[in-house]
Amino acid sequence: MGYFGATLDALYVTFRQALKKPTTVQYPTEQRERAPRFRASFALTHDAAGEESCIGCKKCENICPSDVIRVAAIKKTSEVTGKARGYAEDFTLNLQACIICELCVQVCPTDAIIMTQEQEVPGFSREDLVLTMDKLYANEKQKRWAWSNATILGEQQDPDRGVPGKEKSAAEGSDGEEKKAKPEKPKKEPKKEPKAEGEAKPKKEAKATADGELAKADGEPAKAESPKSEPSKGELEKVEPPKGPEEAKPVEAQVAVAEAQTPVPDAPKANAVAVAAKVDASPEPSATTMDSPTT
Amino acid sequence: MNALELLENPWIHGLAYGAVLVTLLMTAAGFVSWFERKFAGRIQSRMGPTMVGPLGILQPLADGIKMIQKEQIIPRNADRFLFEISPGLIVFLALGVAAVIPFTPGMLASDLDVGVLYVLALSGLMAFPIWVGAWASNNKYALLGGMRMVAQGVSYEIPMVLSALIPVILSGSLSVSEIVKYQIEHGWFVFWPPGPGTLAFTIFLLTALAEGNRIPFDIPEAESELVSGPTTEYTGIKFGLFAASEYVHSIVTAGIASALFLGGWDGPFGSPVFWMVLKTSVLFLVITWIRWSLLRFRSDQLMMLCWKYLVPASLALVMIAGLFVHFGG
Repeated sequence: MGYFGATLDALYVTFRQALKKPTTVQYPTEQRERAPRFRASFALTHDAAGEESCIGCKKCENICPSDVIRVAAIKKTSEVTGKARGYAEDFTLNLQACIICELCVQVCPTDAIIMTQEQEVPGFSREDLVLTMDKLYANEKQKRWAWSNATILGEQQDPDRGVPGKEKSAAEGSDGEEKKAKPEKPKKEPKKEPKAEGEAKPKKEAKATADGELAKADGEPAKAESPKSEPSKGELEKVEPPKGPEEAKPVEAQVAVAEAQTPVPDAPKANAVAVAAKVDASPEPSATTMDSPTT
Repeated sequence: MNALELLENPWIHGLAYGAVLVTLLMTAAGFVSWFERKFAGRIQSRMGPTMVGPLGILQPLADGIKMIQKEQIIPRNADRFLFEISPGLIVFLALGVAAVIPFTPGMLASDLDVGVLYVLALSGLMAFPIWVGAWASNNKYALLGGMRMVAQGVSYEIPMVLSALIPVILSGSLSVSEIVKYQIEHGWFVFWPPGPGTLAFTIFLLTALAEGNRIPFDIPEAESELVSGPTTEYTGIKFGLFAASEYVHSIVTAGIASALFLGGWDGPFGSPVFWMVLKTSVLFLVITWIRWSLLRFRSDQLMMLCWKYLVPASLALVMIAGLFVHFGG
């Protein structure tokens, strides 16, 4: 009677199943909700003053594992602030080989490159997948932004994150006195709910009052927070000529200044140094921190 | 001579009812194919057809148009005449059974006094056009499928005939409408007499599934082994006719089974046609439900089930029914 029982069981299972609701999502007319951190394509952003955020530092180009980013840097005078700073003359991101690792977003000192949350990216030709600078800036307006930018990702690196009392001490300590007043206050708000979806927007507005320099400083607390980075950063200060009154100046700020002082062709070299220093600053101990004072 | 007098003539009567019946059945075949796809979808947590018409109800129409438009491919070494005649034959046989299904006492194409014999004869012939088409296709898969169809059809013919004999023995008539009338007086055969009637009904349904080539007895088709069995080489509307005949056969089988065992048009209230259609629909639902629940039998398991269990069981049932009539009935 084993077969007979199994047959009745099969009939019971299918009948029970037939009474349930189908799980089908009628895709083109009906779209499934994506995971909050889903990310698909890229966009380049403008800062609050309406200026291109990208300073042409080439950090994204250097860190990209599949080498799909090309940046041509140029130095010119900002129309907004009147100061000379770096710009991206051309910026190309080839999605065909992109592995969506988000490292470019993570290293960006000015939160210029971000990812977007559109449902689908495929195109009809290979050229559709090559994001030119125009497309990237168009994406900023048209596409829904993904959850993070460099600032948020940097905060996620904080080893004290979630520890009561210790959470923001490092960030506040390393912030320059003159920067503290304006950008810091609105920036704290999104920090409390780092998973909220529309979060990138308020963060962007936080930079509204700041010029290029201050926008750069936004990336600063994150980098300064990791404990391993402090000794290596101290070394770095000694190795390179001091740049300003602020102590423990972030790597990005140094790069920016270095870039401003050196002619453009030399900029990649400075960037390479900066990236190496960035790798040092990561929480894992690495071989490049050879002359750290702890040894 | 007015129209009503014309209908008295058995030829004109048969033709008129036949035309209506064929139209209704072919339409119903389209509708039940939609229903089956919907039902199968729900069983598998899908939605089934949704695009053509509301709830996809016009899907059979779209499928029909698609099939008519498709290219008619005839294999190079096929027997052209047999290849072309086989789809027509199978639809003819499937529809022919419907002639003796009674919807109301007078509403049937032909009230044959040997209606049950007629049904069994046409059902037994169902294997024939499939075999013809399979042979004419000049295709190994089709040939194997056709052989399996004949083996299965011949084997399952016997328990089917024996189980259909139970109502005949109990009611003492071979006419389908006489059997229904007897059930209205004495109770449905599926409930009374309790043992033989229920078992005979089960056996009749099982063998009808095998005759109609339906899962779990779709060994002749067996997509995983034989591509598409006897219909491998058929394209377009010829394949459509094979598919339609399968649905027609299922509906007609459900109709015959409800007439022989479930009391036909008998019901507590309302019109007889309603009850007949309701019973047929419920039986068709059960057939569909079985199809999407069970797995395909292996060929030897099929034969074992038939010869070792169904044939002895139906023989015993015939004997019990005979004793019942002799001593009690």
